[in-house]
Amino acid sequence: MSTALWLAVLASALGTLLMRMLPLLWMQRRLDRSDSDDDLDAMPQWLGILGPLMIAAVLGTSLVPTTVDATSWLATAIGVLATLAVWWRLRSLGWPIAAGVAAYGAVVTLLG
Amino acid sequence: MSQQATRSLPRPWLAGLREAIPLLGGYVPVAISFGLIAVQAGFSTWEALAISTLVYAGASQFLFVGMIAAGSPLWLVVVMTLLINVRHVVYAPNIAPWLTASRAWPWLMHGLTDQVFALAHTRLPQLPASQRLGWFTGAALLAWFSWIGGTALGAVAGEELTRRWPLLGEIMPFALPALFLVLLAPRFTDRRWSVALGSSIAIALLLTVNGLSNAAIPLGAACGALCFYLVKLDSTTRGR
Repeated sequence: MSTALWLAVLASALGTLLMRMLPLLWMQRRLDRSDSDDDLDAMPQWLGILGPLMIAAVLGTSLVPTTVDATSWLATAIGVLATLAVWWRLRSLGWPIAAGVAAYGAVVTLLG
Repeated sequence: MSQQATRSLPRPWLAGLREAIPLLGGYVPVAISFGLIAVQAGFSTWEALAISTLVYAGASQFLFVGMIAAGSPLWLVVVMTLLINVRHVVYAPNIAPWLTASRAWPWLMHGLTDQVFALAHTRLPQLPASQRLGWFTGAALLAWFSWIGGTALGAVAGEELTRRWPLLGEIMPFALPALFLVLLAPRFTDRRWSVALGSSIAIALLLTVNGLSNAAIPLGAACGALCFYLVKLDSTTRGR
């Protein structure tokens, strides 16, 4: 890589790090200044709403299969149902994911 | 691994490592693809590793390598990379109320990817304050190392791996939506949240299917927020 290209990598890395780091410092300062005992009260309401919605959007993007065809969509639907069914019974983190991946994999392998 | 209970963990960093394992299903296959594509675009293995270690942001790395390979001006490559990553600005403030007093936290934000944020946003409030730093360090480091390791694997043996196990790269990434489903399911508590979360998921999915994956997360979340406030307005109006 040329020096210019290395500089582009470093600028992208530094910019990304600052976008992850500086908002934390801003928020920590805001929380420190707040009189409220509960830090959650000092958080802007829109920010608290945006958090879960960002996770929901990440879920939406990740639901799109690597290969977009009917089999993959069917596998996605069955994987989602399997994940939710096991979560409903166990309310845990690990097993529902294992069940979802297994169900997805079974459909892709059998019909693919 | 109960999600609900606030309980003491004997080794919080180990619990963080364990709970981040589902992320590997999504990270490793995608990182292998990145390593392979970077080498095919003319980068060396060490250069691909440097990008994964320093930038550490999936979609923007693919764009970075693709634009360089296409001969785009470097300033434009940097601007586009940062533009894709701008969504990260809302992540750290969202978990800030649960972060303890330690100078390590700002530096640990390097590991705050979409997926680590989703996990931390759910788990940190459930952990005792004394264990949050250890838990986050374990989870974030496992995710980071898996991304770097996957890149190395892809750069060195990507072609061989995808030829030998073509289905593996297709099946394992389902661990990511499965993880997000489990993290989000308890948040469908009432009609308002269900409509907002459901529309965020649907909009982001539709945008991704139509090739707008980079805009999908911020636009999906923005539409969800709009629905959240519209449902409130609707119920307020009916109440009158």
